[in-house]
Amino acid sequence: MSKKRTGVFVCHCGTNIAATVDVAKVAKEMAGEDTVAFTKEYVYMCSEPGQESVVQAIKDNKLDSVVVTCCSPNLHEKTFRDNATRAGINNFTCEIANIREQCSWVHNDKAKGTEKAIKISRSVVRRVNRNQPLDAIAVNVTRRAMVIGGGVAGIQAALDIANAGVEVVLVEKQATIGGRMLQLSETFPTLDCSQCVLSPKMVEVKRHPKIKLMTYSEVQELTGSVGNFQVKALKKPTFVDPDKCKLCDECTAVCPVVVPNEYELNLTARRAIYIPYAQAIPASFTLDESVCLGLNPIVCGKCKDVCEADAINYDMRPETVTEDVGAIVVATGFDLYGQENMGELGGGKIEDVLDGLQFERLCSASGATKGHILRPSDHTEPKNVVFIQCVGSRDPAKHCAYCSKICCMYTAKHAQLYKHHVPDGRAYVFYIDIRSGGKGYEEFVQRTMEDNDTLYLRGRVSRLYRHNGKVRVLGTDTLSGQNVEIDADMVVLALAMVPSKGTTEIAKVLKIGRDKDGFLAEAHPKLKPVESVTAGIYLAGAAQAPKDIPETVAQAGAAAAKVIALLSQATLSRPPLIARVRRSHCTGCGMCVDACPFIAIRLENGKAVVNEALCEGCGSCSATCLRAAIDVKNVTQLQIYEMIEACLAV
Amino acid sequence: MFFNDLKQTRGKIYISNDWCKGCGFCVQFCPKGVLDTSPEYNAKGYHPPYVKNPDACHDCMFCQMICPEFSIYVIKEEATNKGETNK
Ligand SMILES: Cc1cc2nc3c(=O)[nH]c(=O)nc-3n(C[C@H](O)[C@H](O)[C@H](O)COP(=O)(O)OP(=O)(O)OC[C@H]3O[C@@H](n4cnc5c(N)ncnc54)[C@H](O)[C@@H]3O)c2cc1C
Ligand code: SF4
Ligand code: SF4
Ligand code: SF4
Ligand code: SF4
Repeated sequence: MSKKRTGVFVCHCGTNIAATVDVAKVAKEMAGEDTVAFTKEYVYMCSEPGQESVVQAIKDNKLDSVVVTCCSPNLHEKTFRDNATRAGINNFTCEIANIREQCSWVHNDKAKGTEKAIKISRSVVRRVNRNQPLDAIAVNVTRRAMVIGGGVAGIQAALDIANAGVEVVLVEKQATIGGRMLQLSETFPTLDCSQCVLSPKMVEVKRHPKIKLMTYSEVQELTGSVGNFQVKALKKPTFVDPDKCKLCDECTAVCPVVVPNEYELNLTARRAIYIPYAQAIPASFTLDESVCLGLNPIVCGKCKDVCEADAINYDMRPETVTEDVGAIVVATGFDLYGQENMGELGGGKIEDVLDGLQFERLCSASGATKGHILRPSDHTEPKNVVFIQCVGSRDPAKHCAYCSKICCMYTAKHAQLYKHHVPDGRAYVFYIDIRSGGKGYEEFVQRTMEDNDTLYLRGRVSRLYRHNGKVRVLGTDTLSGQNVEIDADMVVLALAMVPSKGTTEIAKVLKIGRDKDGFLAEAHPKLKPVESVTAGIYLAGAAQAPKDIPETVAQAGAAAAKVIALLSQATLSRPPLIARVRRSHCTGCGMCVDACPFIAIRLENGKAVVNEALCEGCGSCSATCLRAAIDVKNVTQLQIYEMIEACLAV
Repeated sequence: MFFNDLKQTRGKIYISNDWCKGCGFCVQFCPKGVLDTSPEYNAKGYHPPYVKNPDACHDCMFCQMICPEFSIYVIKEEATNKGETNK
């Protein structure tokens, strides 16, 4: 093997790197490396002139390999590998040395920073010395997509993808699609009816020839990779045939079981056989196996007896289906932070202290009270209501550190709705500050304060307790410096938005990352806000971060566009950095077979064989093999050894 | 109190201890786990059932139906106004 001719390109990244790293010194040190034939430093290597200079230098100096010492490979590995191709050399001989995220950004001592940057760069130069030219692997694309979660985010994404002619499987955990938006009454800032805008979209989903709707279903397992995923989903039995059910409601009249109705946030009760809402899609009753007396005509069977449509079938069984899809959108939404976590505010045990979604159901014409705002304790109209913002949000010591973003807005909406329903009532709002960024949002809050005569008190509430049939609210008004005591008929807590339970579960199943607060992590906070860290899996809606409906819909459209772009390619290229077996060294012990998390290795005639379509290049096999018989291409054990050596040398 | 005023029907269970032959069907098949086997003996020397969770009975009368000795029966309770809330 003749000696490599490597070019090293050191980027200043403005002052991002140059302020903490002596870039000229890094370039000079690299020039001293045996295999380095060319070095250059430049203020923005990723700029057009910077990239051109890389291409030109490769051609002029007959370079066969390139190291760019700059930011994370997540950002610009592709940029510079494309330049290598343009200059006529193999793109897998180009590597990135990350001296920004892993050096300049986390240090401030320039001498030591420079020393570390030199070590990082040198280790990558040594690695590139043994890099082989490789060709990307072409794989076919399955032109189908899956959307997980049927809230407004999932509905929008599914419709956008389907309208582009791509088949979509929409998987929803509950008995109906619609998510939280179906529980809302009117929406800020226009006060248009939530169900009126959502229901037509739900019907469109049901009727769309390109959408396969799977409600009451959960994703259980994911295999494959971008372009070719296999998703295993469990369809739970509803025991009612949706095609036969006539929605006559005869069954609920005879069912002897009464349980709190989770769809109405426990403000009402339902039977074991029920329909979540009148607008439910699919429009059918569902039998809740967990509370039914036994799915056995001898024990009960009352519902089946009265069902003239013969829609009820106790013999339905769970069904597992496997769907082949090329891309996935995760839109599994949010829950409210539990009241039980708010000990100082009664921990959910004080009557007439509600959460925001319960208040929505009280305002909604199709809700628990047919649109009358009434107290749960005695069903009377509350004459004064205290709304408390930021409950559980912005409290890093005890609860969630982040701002839930929408509570200022929906509290202003709640105060307005309350005044519309109870014109002679009094509304109070406790707030820390008002965050009303958004089109028409500030004006909306002003309307609540001025036209709707709502008293905004700046301060926290320290305690709530029951007193003479009312809820006593103890707080402070920090603007006047006075303690405030209000005997309220009803208290509404704007609880923090947290990732839904289903979001936590799906993150584990799909093995996609979550951020420090448990929301699904995007691949880059600015440039890849709808991509997950896993290629081919996209994010939409409140599962990624607290957001309102307009933002949710926008993100869903963006995710759909990404899916369509991905699936419109005839083939995808997969990085060829996968495991390779040196047959002469392999003894067939099978340790790598057990170590591989992707089940990509099998033994054939006593030797390990790698399935190139399944191998993700994680290197677990290589770390396990006692005989160095299996290696990941361009990240071999020898390369890693030499990189460590370069880092340790003084 | 639920806004839609649904109430869970309850049953009151009566057991004729001395008729029971200790087959345990009612204990085994009650869908709500209301019954359990008593440690006491009846006149025939069997362990009759006793009501362990009276508030869980849904008045389905299955125990009454499967008891081979007619020794357990259920009478529908006046539906109370209490209802169930999570508060
Ligand atoms: C009290 C309150 C008032 C609000 N008022 C307004 C308003 O006036 N205007 C406005 O713009 N916004 C408002 N919002 C915000 C709005 O509710 C959200 O922006 C919107 O619901 C987010 O939609 P989503 O589809 O991302 O999530 P969700 O609505 O939570 O939907 C997620 C769906 O995914 C399903 N799911 C979860 N896990 C899984 C799983 N593992 N597998 C399959 N399916 C799963 C869920 O069952 C659900 O159907 C309000 C929010 C609250 C709490
Ligand atoms: S069989 Fe189950 S769902 Fe049907 S009436 Fe009886 S308890 Fe209700
Ligand atoms: S009785 Fe049958 S048809 Fe009527 S609502 Fe119930 S399941 Fe549907
Ligand atoms: S661990 Fe090494 S020696 Fe054992 S089967 Fe795998 S490649 Fe062969
Ligand atoms: S009536 Fe039904 S719920 Fe009550 S004890 Fe008998 S079997 Fe159990």
